[in-house]
Amino acid sequence: MTAVRALTHGFWRNLPPFRLVLGLCPALAITTAAEYGLGMGLAVTFVLVFSNALVSLLRRVIPDEVRIASFIVVIATLVVLVELAMKAYFYPLSRTLGIYVPLIVVNCIILGRAEAFASRNPVLVSAADGLGVGLGYTISLIVVGSLREILGAGTWFGRPVFGDGFEPFGFMVKAPGAFLCLGLLLGVMNAWSRRRGEIFVQT
Amino acid sequence: MRDIGRLVLVLSLIGVISAGTLAYVRAALDARIEHQEDLHVRGPALSRLFARPAPDLLANKLAFRAGGREYPVFYLDDGGQVDRLAVEAAGRGGYGGDVVVMIGLDLARRTLIGVEIVSHHETPGVGARIERESFRAQWTGLALDEPVALRSAGGDLDAISGATFSSRAMVDGTNQVIELLRDHADEIVELAAGGERPARAKGGS
Repeated sequence: MTAVRALTHGFWRNLPPFRLVLGLCPALAITTAAEYGLGMGLAVTFVLVFSNALVSLLRRVIPDEVRIASFIVVIATLVVLVELAMKAYFYPLSRTLGIYVPLIVVNCIILGRAEAFASRNPVLVSAADGLGVGLGYTISLIVVGSLREILGAGTWFGRPVFGDGFEPFGFMVKAPGAFLCLGLLLGVMNAWSRRRGEIFVQT
Repeated sequence: MRDIGRLVLVLSLIGVISAGTLAYVRAALDARIEHQEDLHVRGPALSRLFARPAPDLLANKLAFRAGGREYPVFYLDDGGQVDRLAVEAAGRGGYGGDVVVMIGLDLARRTLIGVEIVSHHETPGVGARIERESFRAQWTGLALDEPVALRSAGGDLDAISGATFSSRAMVDGTNQVIELLRDHADEIVELAAGGERPARAKGGS
């Protein structure tokens, strides 16, 4: 598998929340606005690129028996780095995302990619896979966040999109709105795939 | 046997490298994070307590060490007289860890100006209700000379129902500040009034 293929797989075939159905907790919890989706997605992308690269680099050094523990230490280190950097440079965003930044450690996408992909592939391809899946995740979060923000608050990235007459559906920025939004998107994507006769097997 | 040695070695090495990296980055970013907290958390809290814009207030900062803890102290010295303080303390015993409060103190009237929450990890919708104005308003005008307590412990403050731990942590933070003032009020005022910034004061400007 080449680096380019690994990269582009992340955008559709391995699109995390919809195709792999992983990383749903932050996808539901922090997508009350497009901006938060972007911030969270980029944080995950950073962790994913470097954890994939490091895991791939160390794949011959790490003994099989302690591989999960080693992966977790690598991932946790990267997540704390992101958390510190976010606090130092994007403080308001880090307050909004709150507990979901440290929780990236247990985001299944990252451990999943480390275990299923990076531990079996060369460094460059693994990093490309991390970047692809990470960007795919970012785009997904922005889409969910945009839908919820536009309908629920009448703004997009904080700017009003409707006239004064618009009455926002407060429901969309609450928790049930997240389930509704994600469920409908998932349904539309599955219907689309079925029509095209695609069969998805996780790789 | 050699295999186990290798497992231990690899995992320890990864752990050591990771800890080293984090310690280094943390040390490098500490001052910046502290500054961001001043700007986004303490600044707004201070300007609510003292009813004036935050930038004027943040510069008047010192760190007072007592009983093995460090208390950030902000002071207001209109006309050369230090008459109002805001002291930050970590109230112990919250449901999700420490509840960090900032208490505004009026030294001339010997009363509390009010309380602001700097940070907490209480349950949203339950313990997090300590942030509500109606709950915090109870602090305004309390006497500075005696410890406060919840009604259930024989005091005057109403706890939030269902959030006794969170309420208690706030009381604990408040009492730390009251005790600090009881024991060290003169030293703090002296430090604040002294034109020369003491060595242990840091950050702020």
